[in-house]
Amino acid sequence: MSLEQISNTALIAAFFIYIIAFFMFVISITGKKWSNRDPEAHMKRWSRFAFGVTVLGIASQIIYFITRWIYSGHIPNANMFEFMTLLSMMIIVGFIIIYIIYRSAGTGVFALPVAFIVQAYAMVFPWEAEPLIPALQDNWLKIHVTTAALGEAFFAVGFATGLMYLIRTVNFSGTSKKERRSIKGVEFTIFVILVVVGFIGSVFLFNGMDYHAEFSKDVIVPAEESELELEQVTTENVEYTLPPIVKPYNSEIVSMDSYFGIQKPLFEAPFWMQGVNAGRKLNTVVWAFIIGTLLYYTLRLILRKPIGASIQPILNDLDPDDLDEISYRSIALGFPIFTLGALIFAMIWAHIAWERFWGWDPKEVWALIVWLFYSVYLHLRLSRGWQGSKSSWLSVIGFLIVMFTLVGVNLVIAGLHSYAGV
Amino acid sequence: MIQNTKCECGHQNPVNTVLCESCGKPLIEDQSMETLEMRYDGAVRRSQRENKTIIDRVWSFFSSVKVAIYLIFFTLCGASLGTIYPQESTFINIDPSTYYPETYGTMGSIYYMLGLSHTYETWWFKLLLIMIGTSLVICSLDRVLPLYRALNKQKIRKHDQFIRRQKVVYTGDIKEIQNEKDAELWVNEFSGILKKKFYRVTTDGRSLLAEKNRFSRWGPYINHIGLIIFLLAVLLRLIVSPWYMEEYISVLDGEIEQIPGTNYYVENERFIVEFYSEDELSEKTVEKGKIIPKLFATEAVLYECVKNCNDPIKDPVLEEVKKHSIQVNEPLEYEGLLIYQMGYEETPILNSVNATLKNRESNEEYGQFILEMDNPKSTYEVGDYQLELIGYYPDFTFINGEAGTKSSKPNTPAFIFSIHGPGMPDKGEINMYFPLPQHKVTYQEDQINIAAGSTLVIDVESMQDVDFSLYTSFLSARKDTILPMIWIGLSISMIGLILGFYWNHRRIWLKFNKNQLLLGAHSNKNWFGLRKEVAQALHKSGIEVEAKSLENEVKDS
Repeated sequence: MSLEQISNTALIAAFFIYIIAFFMFVISITGKKWSNRDPEAHMKRWSRFAFGVTVLGIASQIIYFITRWIYSGHIPNANMFEFMTLLSMMIIVGFIIIYIIYRSAGTGVFALPVAFIVQAYAMVFPWEAEPLIPALQDNWLKIHVTTAALGEAFFAVGFATGLMYLIRTVNFSGTSKKERRSIKGVEFTIFVILVVVGFIGSVFLFNGMDYHAEFSKDVIVPAEESELELEQVTTENVEYTLPPIVKPYNSEIVSMDSYFGIQKPLFEAPFWMQGVNAGRKLNTVVWAFIIGTLLYYTLRLILRKPIGASIQPILNDLDPDDLDEISYRSIALGFPIFTLGALIFAMIWAHIAWERFWGWDPKEVWALIVWLFYSVYLHLRLSRGWQGSKSSWLSVIGFLIVMFTLVGVNLVIAGLHSYAGV
Repeated sequence: MIQNTKCECGHQNPVNTVLCESCGKPLIEDQSMETLEMRYDGAVRRSQRENKTIIDRVWSFFSSVKVAIYLIFFTLCGASLGTIYPQESTFINIDPSTYYPETYGTMGSIYYMLGLSHTYETWWFKLLLIMIGTSLVICSLDRVLPLYRALNKQKIRKHDQFIRRQKVVYTGDIKEIQNEKDAELWVNEFSGILKKKFYRVTTDGRSLLAEKNRFSRWGPYINHIGLIIFLLAVLLRLIVSPWYMEEYISVLDGEIEQIPGTNYYVENERFIVEFYSEDELSEKTVEKGKIIPKLFATEAVLYECVKNCNDPIKDPVLEEVKKHSIQVNEPLEYEGLLIYQMGYEETPILNSVNATLKNRESNEEYGQFILEMDNPKSTYEVGDYQLELIGYYPDFTFINGEAGTKSSKPNTPAFIFSIHGPGMPDKGEINMYFPLPQHKVTYQEDQINIAAGSTLVIDVESMQDVDFSLYTSFLSARKDTILPMIWIGLSISMIGLILGFYWNHRRIWLKFNKNQLLLGAHSNKNWFGLRKEVAQALHKSGIEVEAKSLENEVKDS
């Protein structure tokens, strides 16, 4: 087996180990009510097992990391696949630290899914290791990206426990306006997570089926950008790996496999989505929403109540104040690390590589926005006494902003921080 | 309203004090048993003073954390607007008034009209940053001074109410304690336990005050000081122009250019580009035909002008001061001047050719000569022949049917020689020469020369005889005098964050009323850790209590 194969196998193994650890954490809590056992002893034993399995998982992920570093010749955090995998690894590190402090099995029930969903998301992107472009050939790549990811991972743990707090405390049978709004908020958050799962699922499903479609689109190159200084029309092609529900605006089919008996794209992207890739991205979003919605309503149909209400019994034994405290603690632990990694180290590197320490590049701005948001969170909590559900909502919103900074900026805005494969 | 601000312990407090500065008794009479608001230990802040003057009002406004939060929130929203479309500063040469509408349609023109195409230079964004800076200064001063005073003169014996209304509380009767002496002994033993947990303990008979990590309270203020220094540095950088310089230079391979506004000259001795070979790339990338650069570097020499600088007639006298291979992550550094590699462009420009003179029929070679595109000589001696340059067109073209040149750049160099020597006519044989092969074909060099009756050919033997400048290197020169202040500000800020977040200030108050033990504890964060620590300390002195049960029952909702 080549080093590359060992590395990829170790990563896939880690992914499944985390899923197993997650179920073990669930059993450690739900199994307390099983007959012929002492609830306390059961919880202790199972959460210790589950924690052990988690450690095994990270060991496997570290094997991936080291072997990949060796065979690719650079630290694996340079493209989207590598970075997201690093983030998932860091979320586990954050979880392990928080678990050692608080010994709360409940945290695992939420933090592990966040980690393996992030890992699955990483796996959607091209796995190949590419050599580094000159701008990335520096030790700051190791330092800046790794510390930033660790800070963000603590925010992820804060998000997981914040969401737990909300699911634990929301009164699902409540009828007041405020209670109904909280229920909707929790359900919406779960729906968003399922849309992400839907995105990952659709990519894997159709990649597995080896689906292909191709479109061509005439693109007008304005006179000042063309070599002959004349307006030119060039044809650009775009390849779809998901079946086209939406085709690019003003495009022709080059080839298309039929899906579910459908031979033609159903819609065309709106006119203001100019680029040939805009149509492809829109199509992906549409698929994510379709599968996410399907997942959500199937689950609701099976459970016959809001999904949050079905998760709540698992969390009933957990003390909400503890959850609130854990959520706050992980954000408080993450904040200085994030400041150091995503802002200060970023500025130092930008000063060395890009001849200025700050240039209002979209990624820089969004890192600043994350930082400002969490400083609002901290001020509201420490000076204005926002605790419990208010601060939990902020931790959920904060992590959405983090994810937008990491993923959304690259997909939608781009700028200088463009990774290979996005 | 006239308030009686004298506490029952006899201490005279300033108006609006929440907790007596001395014994901690709540001064606002309420019968509730809610946990106390312990911020700044209940001391009065300047912003809460009565009889407000205008300065006091401004002070109150900026000292409010609520205002600070709004300011941060507005800045956050404003900053996000600037990322919708690329900012003007990301382009080198555009007219924003036409670029945005043309590229992004109606949305683009609205974006431009609102000034969002330069969000971070707008007055309102700068104003927000200045207000945040002001808020940082005033908020910090307003709080740190009363807090410092409160923490500096703490009384050991606190009012019962003060202890009972802490967030972490323990009360219980201890049967073994019969008299004051027993209680004092117990307190002494307990202080020993706390000292082992790194508390600084002071006792006053049957009362005890234990405290640790007070420095953590200064964390936020140290962080704020760092941020203030950082913001000041940024402001100074905008105001004091000689402290900041930014110039872009493009230098051809082998050329030398002055850095505008300085006495420095930079030479691009050689520009190197390397690309990854196919076996270093993944199969997919190779399939797509992508080429990824591995390295690009300008082998640069920095010169300083020592004589005849800015003299339009004489050439400046240059002195070499530094040699460095400038790469993306390795700028050239010389006395605060930094030269960065920004990028490069492939711009093949011919420098010279090592041409050979031959016989058209027999291919017999008569000799070689170096022909330079920049200032060619008027005559060249080749073997027995003499080549007289009678026409040079660096950028050859036909203007109204006549030979002419479009520019002085050697894009399409063309030479006309009059050749004298053995077998040549007296007035010389006319020969037209295009050094670049593609131009030979376009302008039919051979046909022209044959028609003119030329028996000789000028040509190059191989590509080794051709000297090209292949690349233009884009460099950027910066001088940023204020930079150290920026790094100092950020370092201070980071130290503050670490002190504030990774340690917490913990205090424990304890007193005996007969044999009843009253214990209250306070932490600025991490109550979980504090409860655990108190429970452990109590356990060591023989009191078994669940850490969780120490939480004050009365919830502050």
